[in-house]
Amino acid sequence: MPGSVAIETARFRLRNLKPSDASERWRGWARDPAVMHPLNNPARDMSLDYLARYASSFDGKNRHLIGVFEKATGAHIGFFMVEIDPVHRLATFNVVIGDKDWWGKRVVNESRAALLDYFFERRSIEKACGSPLSRNFPAVLNYKEQGWRHEGTLRGHRVSAIDGSRLDQYQFGLLREEWRLLRKAKNND
Amino acid sequence: MTDLLQARQLLADAITVEIDVVPDNARIGHFERWDSLVHMRLLLSVEKRIGRQLDPDEAVRVECLSDIAALLKNNNPATL
Repeated sequence: MPGSVAIETARFRLRNLKPSDASERWRGWARDPAVMHPLNNPARDMSLDYLARYASSFDGKNRHLIGVFEKATGAHIGFFMVEIDPVHRLATFNVVIGDKDWWGKRVVNESRAALLDYFFERRSIEKACGSPLSRNFPAVLNYKEQGWRHEGTLRGHRVSAIDGSRLDQYQFGLLREEWRLLRKAKNND
Repeated sequence: MTDLLQARQLLADAITVEIDVVPDNARIGHFERWDSLVHMRLLLSVEKRIGRQLDPDEAVRVECLSDIAALLKNNNPATL
């Protein structure tokens, strides 16, 4: 796969997902409203074949589906979707931590920090973007804690997949230079 | 009870610790125990306390305990 991601953090391994990563564990996340609803996705049954085809739909160049695996056990606990706009050198991040035992344990920011390093420093990306729903409070905390800037609020920007109401969405952004300064400040602590 | 003390209590409840564990200057990114799940519980408890949902601009501005205290103060029925 071109430009494959293979990164280790203190607790996790991150790599592009393959069709063979489709699992009952992943299917369980798709069926779980607590996992899916904050992302404005309905909980639904997805076959292993569907998940395998979904994984293979990412080209590993401009569209990445990157699994998060616990190093200690090898367990797959979630994934990032990263979409690259090569013209404007943007990377748009989405994340799902499906294993609820890992919620509130800073999986997102530990993993995303490594991905930011990778895309900024090795893939010439100059800005990262993220767009959580305004009611996805945990996601918002993660962006703010990591130093992303709230760039705006898009009012009624999405139709709820759950009840058809209109949902507000935030726009967060992080420039490469800002990330480098944050890294430098952290290293100096 | 002052607004800041109430805010500390809400954050302590969200973490499920005694209030003494929560410093007055608790801030996202600096107070380790203020994690993503705690943040969700905290904002939901603020909404319950003030009797309405936070609007998106209010919610995204919350970065420290004094922001929570201000929300409580500005939505206190006695001062509206």
